[in-house]
Amino acid sequence: MQLTAKLGILADAAKYDASCASSGAPKRSSRGRDGLGATDGMGICHSYTPDGRCVSLLKVLLTNFCLYDCQYCVNRRSSNVPRARFSPEEVVRLTLDFYRRNCISGLFLSSGIIRSADYTMEQLIRVARLLREEHAFRGYIHLKTIPDADPLLIEEAGRLADRLSVNIELPTDASLQRLAPEKRASTIRQAMGVIHHGQQAVAGEPRAPRFTPAGQSTQVIVGADATDDSTLLRNAESLYQGYGLKRVYYSAFSPIPDSPSSVPLAAPPLLREHRLYQADFLLRGYGYKAGELLGEAGNLALDIDPKLAWALANREVFPLDVNRAEPALLARIPGIGLRSVQRMVALRRERRIRYDDLIQLRCVLEKARPFIVTSDYRPAQAELRSGLLRARLREPQAPVQMGLWG
Amino acid sequence: MIALDCGDDFAIWRDQARQLLGHGIDPATVTWGQTWMDDLLAVPTPLPAGPGPFHARVPAALLAQLEQAGRYRGEQRWNLLYEVLWRVAHGDRTAMLAGDRLGSELQRRIRQVGREAHHLHAFVRFVPLPEALAEQLQLDLVAYHEPAHDILDSASAHFAERLGRQRWLIATPHDGIRYDGAQLDYRRQCPQDWRQWARNADDPGAELWLAYYRHTFNPARLNPGALRQHLPGRFWRHLPEGPLIPELVGQARHGKQRDGQALEIGRQQGKRIGAGGTDR
Repeated sequence: MQLTAKLGILADAAKYDASCASSGAPKRSSRGRDGLGATDGMGICHSYTPDGRCVSLLKVLLTNFCLYDCQYCVNRRSSNVPRARFSPEEVVRLTLDFYRRNCISGLFLSSGIIRSADYTMEQLIRVARLLREEHAFRGYIHLKTIPDADPLLIEEAGRLADRLSVNIELPTDASLQRLAPEKRASTIRQAMGVIHHGQQAVAGEPRAPRFTPAGQSTQVIVGADATDDSTLLRNAESLYQGYGLKRVYYSAFSPIPDSPSSVPLAAPPLLREHRLYQADFLLRGYGYKAGELLGEAGNLALDIDPKLAWALANREVFPLDVNRAEPALLARIPGIGLRSVQRMVALRRERRIRYDDLIQLRCVLEKARPFIVTSDYRPAQAELRSGLLRARLREPQAPVQMGLWG
Repeated sequence: MIALDCGDDFAIWRDQARQLLGHGIDPATVTWGQTWMDDLLAVPTPLPAGPGPFHARVPAALLAQLEQAGRYRGEQRWNLLYEVLWRVAHGDRTAMLAGDRLGSELQRRIRQVGREAHHLHAFVRFVPLPEALAEQLQLDLVAYHEPAHDILDSASAHFAERLGRQRWLIATPHDGIRYDGAQLDYRRQCPQDWRQWARNADDPGAELWLAYYRHTFNPARLNPGALRQHLPGRFWRHLPEGPLIPELVGQARHGKQRDGQALEIGRQQGKRIGAGGTDR
C-alpha cells in the first residue's frame, strides 16, 4: 500500500484522541548540531482544521489492527474499517519530513493492540528510539502507553518521550466492563502509577536522565455512557492529586460509522465538553474543588459557565472590593481571568482602581459588574436575587452548539 | 513641530528620544514619519543639539517594552512610544500599565507583536529544495511569509534552534533572513532572488501533508468559526492546506457530519478481525 493511503487510514483512526499539546517539554536545541528539533516549553499550533482543533503534532496510529473490541472505538476488531500498518521507519520518515517543513512540532504515536500489549509497546518504543538515537530528533514525542505492558517497557518509553498518556476511556469500572471488556480500571491505574513513580524518582535530581518531562495525561470519553459531570470531575481531581497528571482531556463521544447498539448514535452537546474543560481549568489553575463547582448537582449548567455558577451560588462572598481583596479571591470574580488579576494587583500598587480601568483591562464587565466594588463604583444589582441575575447573564442557547477548544 | 524620521529603526529612535527628553520636549510638539506633511499647521523645527539638561531615569524594563512595541506597524508607531517614555520619565509609571489608556495601547501592541512572532513560528512553511538545486544555492529549505509586524529579525533564530545544520531562508514583502547552518544573515530589504526562490519553489512532496490534514479533521465536530479565530484568513494563502479548508467545510456541511470518518475511508473495503486475532 502507498504511504499516502496508509497515512490517510492511520490519521483517520487516530483523530478521536483529543490531545495535541506540545507544551511543557524542557529546553532542547539543535542549533549548530546534527539532527533536528527543539523544544522550549511553549507549544506551537501549526495549523487548525475546520473542526477548530489545533494541529501541533503528527497524530497517527502505528496500526489500526486491534485485538480489542471497545464498543466506542472505530478501530475495534468488529469494526468494518480499512486497516493499515506503518513500519517504524515510515513513521520516522513522516515525522522528520513534516517537522522540516514546519508543519508540526513533534509526534503523538498510538496503536491498536496487536499480538500482545508488550509487543505493541515495544513497537512504539522502537519508533521513539529511532527518532531520538538514529536521527538525533529533539522535537516533542508523546507516546500512548498500553496499560497491560510490562512496567519495564513503560519506564523505557518514559525516558524517550516528553509525555506518556494512559487513557481512562470510561469514567467508571462498570462502564469499562460493559463497553471495553478487555480493559480494566485497575491496570490503567497501575500504568499511571508506574509513570508517576518514574517521575518522582528523578524529581529534584537535575542530573538524572529525564523522565516524561512534559508529564502524563489521560483522556476520558464523555457521553458514551450515562456518567454525570460530578463523577467525571471528582475522578479528574483524584487523578491530578494521586498521579500528578498534567491534563485530563474530555472527548465528547464522536459517533462512529457502523456503530454498535451499545453506544449512543448521537454525540452529546459539544457545549457539555466545553463546560467540563472550563471546570477542569478552574480545578487546575484557580484552586477550586470539584465539590465546590458541583455541590449537589450531577451536571454542570450548560447556560452559564462554572465560575459564574459558583459566584451565583455564593453571593455572600460578593461584592468584592478590587482594591482590597486577596488575588486568589479576585480570581473568583466572573469575567476576570488570572492575567487580569495580575494586572490589577500591579495597578493598585500605583493607585486606586477605577471602573474605567477594568474596561481598559478588557475584563468581561457584563459578568463582573454585579460582583465588584471599585473606588468609583458599587453595584446596584448587589441586592438582586441570584435567580434574576442568572436569567440576565445566561448565554443564549443557539440551536447549533459551539465546541470551543480548551 | 519637530519632525523626525527614524527609518523604522529602534536604535535610531532611541537616540532621538533620549535627546528630546533631555531638552524636555513635549510629545505634542514632535512627530515621526511622513504624516506631518499633511499637517498644515506643522512648521518643521530642528531637533535641539546636545544631550540637554534633563536627566531622565526610567525603569530598565521600560526600554525592552518600548523596543518590542516598536515592532508594531501602525498609526503613531513611534509617537506613542515617546509619549509613554515622557510620562514615565516624569514620574507617571501608570503609562506602562494595562489599566491606563495609553499603557493599555502599549501593552496591546506588545501583545500583537508577540502574537505575530508566534504566527511566524507556527505558520511559516518551508519547502525542501531538490538536491541539485540545494547544492547550487547552498540552501535546503525556503519559505515565503507575510508578517503584519516587523518581527522577522527578532523572531527567526527560533528556526536555527529547530533545524540544526539545515540551510534555510525566509522571504517577506519587506525583509528577509537566511541561515547557512552557522550564521544568520538578516536583510532589511529582501534580495529579489531570495524572494523568487521562495515563491517559485516546486513541491512534489506536499501531498503527504495534505493527506494528513484531510484525515485528522473530524467532520462531525465542524466549527469553522474557531478555525478562523485561531488561523486568520490572511495566512491561508501561503499554507498548503489553505485551499482545502473551504472544500472540507463544504463536504462536512453536505452530509458528512454524522460521524467522524473521512469520505475516502468510508469508501474503502473494510476488514473485521476475529476474536482470536484472525481476519474475518
